[in-house]
Amino acid sequence: MNPEPFLQLDRVIHEKGRLAIMSMLAASPELSFTELRDALGMTDGNLTTHIRALQETGYVSVAKSYQNRRPLTTCTLTAPGRKAFADYINLLERIVQQNRPK
Amino acid sequence: MLCGAKCLDMETNWAAEQLQTIRTLMERSAVYRRALAPIMLFAGFAGVLAAAGGLVFHLNSPRAFGELWLGVALVAVAGAFLIARQQALKDHEPFWSPPTRRVAQALLPPLLAGLCLGLLLVMVFNHGVELAVSLIWILFYGCALHAAGFFMPRGIKWFGWIFILSACGLFYAMMFNWFRFEVNPHWLMGFFFGVLHLAYGAYLYLTEKGKNAA
Repeated sequence: MNPEPFLQLDRVIHEKGRLAIMSMLAASPELSFTELRDALGMTDGNLTTHIRALQETGYVSVAKSYQNRRPLTTCTLTAPGRKAFADYINLLERIVQQNRPK
Repeated sequence: MLCGAKCLDMETNWAAEQLQTIRTLMERSAVYRRALAPIMLFAGFAGVLAAAGGLVFHLNSPRAFGELWLGVALVAVAGAFLIARQQALKDHEPFWSPPTRRVAQALLPPLLAGLCLGLLLVMVFNHGVELAVSLIWILFYGCALHAAGFFMPRGIKWFGWIFILSACGLFYAMMFNWFRFEVNPHWLMGFFFGVLHLAYGAYLYLTEKGKNAA
């Protein structure tokens, strides 16, 4: 039994809300704040907190612009974020593989 | 040792569930970017043209009414598939992907039920069922949109609710003779399957940005 992979899981991504945001962004070049909020059913405050945490670790970049004179916030996964997400998935797969009956 | 094996089991199950959740979210995100706006506009144009055709050529018998609108439905579905396929090719994504399959699976039962019920009425009755058939199709189409909304932008569910609630209200109005004027079924179909789709497509175009547009 090797508990190591579980302990190596990235604690920033590990949180349910942040993992959902990372998963959505990993499948899209960029997503607006509204799109993320609607797709994940989060409140504005909750989503802001999670995005800020991901931004601080450098996993997500946030761009603010205007569209039809209304502010538009878009989020993108950064290169380190993409790598961290891939590593996280690899670790999950290792955990599953480890205990799979041979 | 026993706890160790049990804990490892739990970890494995948890990890498998996490992977499944991630997969679902990524698939949902991919569907999110599908060409919904052009599909809505295409279906809307087809609906408006069909309503105009039905009114101009006086296609008022149940059979003619059914043939016209089922033909339009076929054209709309074929167009939607072509647009979605084009979008998938452009984005280098597989067309018949798990999310597309899930949306199709969600749409199928209500659409099939509406089709069967509508066809039955059109074939059995010689006159006077066009309005009821319209309402049945509006109702079941709304149910289909609502079901597909679980895998698509939340707006689709609301769009489905508009169809469902309107159809239910209009059913009551029809049954209790609340209409103060004669409702032409082609107008009704043109409004719901034409105008509303055009309005939703235009809304998507205006509110979404670039390639993230639904």
